[in-house]
Amino acid sequence: MGRYLRLFVAFARIGLATEMAFRVNFLMKMLVEVLWLGILLVFYDVLFRNMGGGSVAGWDRWAYLFFVGCHYALSGVVETFFLENCTNLAELVRSGELDQYLLKPIDEQFLITTKQIDWSTFPNILQGIGVMIVSFAMMQGEVTLIQSVAFVVLFVCGVAMAYSFLLVLCSCSVWMVRNQSLVEMWWLFTTLMRYPRELFVGYYVSPVGMFFTYIVPVLLIVNVPAATMVRGLEPGFATLAVITAVVLLVFSRWVFRLALQSYRSASS
Amino acid sequence: MSSAVAATSPSWQALRKYVNICRASLVERLAYRGDFLLGTFLRFLPVLTTILLWSAVYEGKRDGKTIAGFTKEEMISYLLLIHISRMFSSMPGLASGIARDIRDGSLKKYLVQPLDMLCYLLAFRIAHKTAYIATSALPYALLFFLARENFVTCAGWAMLPVYLLTLILGFLIGFFFEAMIGLMGFWLLEVTSAIWILTTLNYFLSGQMFPLDLLALDYPTIHMILQWLPFKYVAYFPAMVFLGKISGPELVRELLLATAWLGVLSVGSRWLYAAGLRRYSAYGG
Repeated sequence: MGRYLRLFVAFARIGLATEMAFRVNFLMKMLVEVLWLGILLVFYDVLFRNMGGGSVAGWDRWAYLFFVGCHYALSGVVETFFLENCTNLAELVRSGELDQYLLKPIDEQFLITTKQIDWSTFPNILQGIGVMIVSFAMMQGEVTLIQSVAFVVLFVCGVAMAYSFLLVLCSCSVWMVRNQSLVEMWWLFTTLMRYPRELFVGYYVSPVGMFFTYIVPVLLIVNVPAATMVRGLEPGFATLAVITAVVLLVFSRWVFRLALQSYRSASS
Repeated sequence: MSSAVAATSPSWQALRKYVNICRASLVERLAYRGDFLLGTFLRFLPVLTTILLWSAVYEGKRDGKTIAGFTKEEMISYLLLIHISRMFSSMPGLASGIARDIRDGSLKKYLVQPLDMLCYLLAFRIAHKTAYIATSALPYALLFFLARENFVTCAGWAMLPVYLLTLILGFLIGFFFEAMIGLMGFWLLEVTSAIWILTTLNYFLSGQMFPLDLLALDYPTIHMILQWLPFKYVAYFPAMVFLGKISGPELVRELLLATAWLGVLSVGSRWLYAAGLRRYSAYGG
């Protein structure tokens, strides 16, 4: 365990050093992220102003903003630590560079999915946390110790679920022919975790919501931690989220190993 | 003039070159149908969530039934029509492609051949767009059919040619705008960041998130400035024309302004290209 931690810290240091070699590029990337958050905030500001103080699917203005902050922080974690690594997998397979990874005396899933840390999206996590703090203060909500501990645990479960989905998607890309648009596909898929689960109402739509809650549980990722802070701990959903996170982690590892088995080291 | 003479005349020769480029690109695009279809399917998820979000917004609204003059049906129609606008006007990879050609020196492939870069890229884009529109027509037709009850107001069949014209204007404005950004690569070593920033801003400024009219009340200055900028022609304007929300003298004025912007952008990109070539030194092997 200590060895993995030391390696992870080393990866983080190398990643930061690489980014610092192209400082302007790094700053520009961060600027885009700030800009994007700004646009989102203006969007929701315009939306709620035009609604005259109503609420969206039971989430009022500040509760909704808390949800947005939670999503921003969570996807920030995924983008910083895992996104680039996972989307690179297909390229490693195609170029045959995966050989060097498999030869190292360390767990290959750990090595492949954490090697490059993208520091330029790290501020997203802080921005998301900032949005959460401000909106929570505006809600004038009171928080219990259990609630905040549960939030942290469920947030980590959310990250684990998102990571698993990402790993499955990228492992599948090993079998597909062309996968240049993997980042885009990931982005489109994660559209589902951007919005409250309560939006999925109606005759045709609620089965879709059910499907993405219980079968392919993307909707749990942000909804459960955010709802825990806004409305209080819902033990049923919290348990579901924890179990789902564990199941998905095991499942994604299995799919990943299956994908590696079909690797034939084609280049050399 | 007989057709035989026309076929050998220099202008036809020049045109045939680009027609062939167009044909070859079309074949290349259609080779990856599977990828295309999966991408198209996933592309419907944001459509679904957007509709659900706005339905919930109208549901939870306290006062009145409209937002900035849009009923719920009009809002959903608008957001669906934005996809049609962007089908024509989005130019993925155009600016970064031009900048890459400049940086790594492969721009000289245009210089040593009797081929104009901007015309080549335009021909390539037309093919790309034709293939894209052809392959996504069916899923979009299905989507519009499912959402048909939202299209309670539209400008009517008589306006269809005008709508098509606004889409073509959107395509051309989008093309020359992106081309100009890419051509900045003659002066700047790295334009990727500029592309990111403009793409992000464009998403908001062209009215892809919501109709620009929503800004009028709370952000009047931004709203006024946006009326005079070209961004709205790549998304907002065609959708509003289809819905019949822009008509009469206003429509004529908007069409004239769009044409003027097209003139400015096309002349501007030509000029940038010419000026850039004068200081270009073809690095790379």
